[in-house]
Amino acid sequence: MNLLRTLDALLRGGYTDVEHIQDGKIQVPIRTLVRLAVLLGATYGLMMGLFALLSWDHTGAALLQMLSSMVKVPLLFLLTLLITFPSLYVLSALARTRLGAAQTARLLLVAITVDLALLASFGPILAFFTLSTDSYPFMKLLNVLIFAIAGLAGLTFLNRALRRWLGQTGAESHETGELEPAPAEAESKTPDAFHDSLIKKTVGLIEQRQSHLATQRTRRLIVGWCVLFGIVGSQMGWVLRPFLGDPDQPFELFRARSSNFLEAVFTALGRLLS
Amino acid sequence: MGVRALLEVEVGQGSLAPTSVRRCLAWVALGGVAYGACMGSFGLRPLQCLISAIKTPLLISAGGLFCIPSFYVINNLLGLREDFGQALRGIASSQAAVAVCLASLGPITLVLYSGTDQYAFAKALNGVMFLFASLGGQIVLARNYRTLIQRNPRHRVALFAWLTLFWFVTIQLAWMLRPFIGQPNDPTTFLRADSWGNAYVEVWRTIVNSLR
Repeated sequence: MNLLRTLDALLRGGYTDVEHIQDGKIQVPIRTLVRLAVLLGATYGLMMGLFALLSWDHTGAALLQMLSSMVKVPLLFLLTLLITFPSLYVLSALARTRLGAAQTARLLLVAITVDLALLASFGPILAFFTLSTDSYPFMKLLNVLIFAIAGLAGLTFLNRALRRWLGQTGAESHETGELEPAPAEAESKTPDAFHDSLIKKTVGLIEQRQSHLATQRTRRLIVGWCVLFGIVGSQMGWVLRPFLGDPDQPFELFRARSSNFLEAVFTALGRLLS
Repeated sequence: MGVRALLEVEVGQGSLAPTSVRRCLAWVALGGVAYGACMGSFGLRPLQCLISAIKTPLLISAGGLFCIPSFYVINNLLGLREDFGQALRGIASSQAAVAVCLASLGPITLVLYSGTDQYAFAKALNGVMFLFASLGGQIVLARNYRTLIQRNPRHRVALFAWLTLFWFVTIQLAWMLRPFIGQPNDPTTFLRADSWGNAYVEVWRTIVNSLR
């Protein structure tokens, strides 16, 4: 029940909204996040494993496939995060986000949990298509599509949270730093309306510039994170396959290493369209 | 909630007309059964009538049920959680509107059936009827969403997501639930023996084969 409440708050942006960010911390319990990610991933894995259960002759092997999918989906995301985290953190430090290592980890975990929540919510649709389809290439491509949509949603969420964070810390810095002398100066010289309006204009311009810079920095950081996480993630997915289980092949925990993710997508497309 | 309130979606003081999902489902059941019975009456087979009467409400409502979890998460992500109840009621009333429109077209279908025994004509006729009913549903959906979009433009994205998901699932559902009319010369069955296929794969194959 507690987990569900956390998930609910998470999806609403409860942990990444202005009030939570104001004190300079993204406060989400890491352990809860990991637990949620595992649970949601396992739910989607279960739906994926349904394909093997329905299309394989050997029920025992199919159940094994189901179990392995349930483990593999959360593993895919958490392992990818573990591997890319050092480089993601370095990137974030280079982009001067003022996020500590723990903060970065939490932020990324939040994004992954959102991603997995969307995946899990697509579960019933996947199950429906599994029930009615025996075309293996179609199911493969449908899964690629669902993962892509969920990934995009996670990314949008991350983008919004990061922008809020940068906007917040940017605003803080100008409140406490560079602009403090300006009002004092105004008082000591000619405190007339003209002067005041000039200061207001300057502050407005600086704020604008700062929010523009925040947007730019966010964009660069997100692109960097995205490329890194995407490359490692798709390779990780490839290493961990099979997730669905080819009806023409026996159960294997892992397949032999060959080819790569993109090639497989194009082969599946070719088989579906031929 | 009467038919008029359902279709007109009167909006007072910036809030939506009070509807309840349960009542909408009741409309779906009633209207779906009524039209399904009409649709299945082609060739005058009571069993087919009964089967179609069961299938039509299923077709109208079940596709949406599969999509609700994703729709819920998407609404949350868009920050539209507070409006989710209203969005859901809007969607439910659009499906109820589809059923009501269908039911209202039922007598016309019956009259047009009486002048023909061509299966192809019956199929095309029902296609047209479903098209009209979907249009009615779309209008009601748009009316329900208008206030929501005014309140927050991001509802437009949610609506688009809903329509994409819903149609993606419903097309496959319709394919699985065939036959709705039933070839009069064939034995009457609830589902076709070969119905466990994939609509998208089949359509693609048909296109490719016709081009060869």
